[in-house]
Amino acid sequence: MIIVWLLFICSVVVLPTLALLALRWAARHGEFDHLDKIALSIFDDEEPLGRMTDQFPGPASSSQKIQKLS
Amino acid sequence: MNAASPTLLQALSPSDTEDVAASRATLAEIDRSCRGPLLFLFAGGLAWLLIGSVFAIIASFKMHWPDFLGEYGWLTFGRVRPVHLNAMIFGFSTETAIGVTIWLMCRLCRTPLLHGWLIMVAGVFWNVGVAIGLVGILAGHSNGIEWLEIPSYVTPILFVTYALIALWGVITFRFRQEKHLYVSQWYLLAALIWFPWIYSAAQIMLVMEPVRGTVQAAVNWWFAHNVLGLWFTPIGLAAIYYFIPKVVGKPVYNYSLSLVGFWSLALFYNWNGMHHLVGGPMPAWLITVSIVASGMMTIPVITVGLNHHLTMWGNFKKLKDSPVLRFMVFGGMSYTLTSLHGVALAFRSVSEVTHFTHSTIAHAHQGMYAFFTMVMFGSMYYILPRLLAVEWPSARLIRLHFWSCALGITLYVFPMIYGGTLQGMAMNNPDIPFLDPSKYSVVTMTLPYLKIRSVSGILLVVGHTAFGISFLWLVLRWLQAARLARPSVAQPQSVFPRLQSAIRNSP
Repeated sequence: MIIVWLLFICSVVVLPTLALLALRWAARHGEFDHLDKIALSIFDDEEPLGRMTDQFPGPASSSQKIQKLS
Repeated sequence: MNAASPTLLQALSPSDTEDVAASRATLAEIDRSCRGPLLFLFAGGLAWLLIGSVFAIIASFKMHWPDFLGEYGWLTFGRVRPVHLNAMIFGFSTETAIGVTIWLMCRLCRTPLLHGWLIMVAGVFWNVGVAIGLVGILAGHSNGIEWLEIPSYVTPILFVTYALIALWGVITFRFRQEKHLYVSQWYLLAALIWFPWIYSAAQIMLVMEPVRGTVQAAVNWWFAHNVLGLWFTPIGLAAIYYFIPKVVGKPVYNYSLSLVGFWSLALFYNWNGMHHLVGGPMPAWLITVSIVASGMMTIPVITVGLNHHLTMWGNFKKLKDSPVLRFMVFGGMSYTLTSLHGVALAFRSVSEVTHFTHSTIAHAHQGMYAFFTMVMFGSMYYILPRLLAVEWPSARLIRLHFWSCALGITLYVFPMIYGGTLQGMAMNNPDIPFLDPSKYSVVTMTLPYLKIRSVSGILLVVGHTAFGISFLWLVLRWLQAARLARPSVAQPQSVFPRLQSAIRNSP
């Protein structure tokens, strides 16, 4: 039964505390600042913004040409 | 064209600039570090997908053809169905999810996978654990608890193995080169922490130190609901948030909305589950809390749905050209549909009809397959060519895979929701008998829908087989290419050699 109580304490105290700490860490480290810049972080020079990076194998169709976002 | 504008060839293969070469080298190094472990995890997952599909077909046939394979004790419905479920959940889905998580984490952290061989070792033990568990279920050692049927003697193997993998995810995050977290990383990190919590909680309260009475049902539903919502869903959403913008080359429509979606999921989802016990001998407040939490789930669902849809806005024509996008968009739309359907199912007036019917089964499959599995397929279509630097061998096989699975799961979900609702209405009507072959009864009225389910199962098996052939073919091409020339880190082979070759040869 002790293990069930430990689990209960974990669930109602430890996990919410971890979540709050994560939120505090994120706020302090600027994770909620400059959100537009973070949204672009998945792009790089190899796979840049404006380029489609997946296609069916085989000869490319006309619509697969690289398009820059307007 | 002015002098500064890149040519089309440079746009496609811009290895002339130092920045691009460095960026390519970084990505190649990450992909190389992930290659062995991910190939192993994906191959294992695929094997479980095919095994699980066979057991799914057997179980489905037994629903309308009870004598099918009825002479074998180990192939009775009570064993075949849990084997299907556990092969899909702990075999295919978890293994693939871990593979996708590792790759996304490495890519987003811009860090190669450190000591990848340990992931391989963990993967071996995970597969051994799942195999022993499934054989144990067939041998009659099932725990008898839905979603936790794998015998308790296997649990330590799975738990320790998972802990090793999750630890590796956290270590990769710790050594990240990218300072800020992309929204996918929030989802992935949370999933890596949530899964051991819900899995250990359910194991302790249902298997090791079983709680008494109806509390068991409460814990069981809490686990079954949360393993989907706090383990598979975050990983599926993380993949969608990465791959849709990446493939269309456009950032997510509203990034702040994506964070609202994450934190509201974190806040509301784990209160869910009890709404499946409407009418049961449970405290009414407990069920009401779950119903309210289900209603609150409309916040993350709508934010995620809006973001996905508006990111795709103006790019839907690209679905024609991209296999990854097809699977991702199908998965994303299914997420919105299944989640809103789930909210509706949580209300007392609806649940009183649909609970204990095939409607619930359809809802679970819509979440686990139409959303999560399709997203995992899409992720593998993106990741594998980059890991192996080899193009997928056949567009026809990919199309067959997509259409078989998309039609198969659609044919599964909607007739079963409709049939299940009629079944629930029949069950609530005292004038309709439960089983009477001579007239309209609860059991006989479901038969047409169950037969449609078997047809849909066959379609799904066709799709999975096509994917299996594609995967094997891809690996063979990679082995062949590796024999001819080993790709270097600095100058990896192009992922799209045919497209680049066509551009080079164009006048």
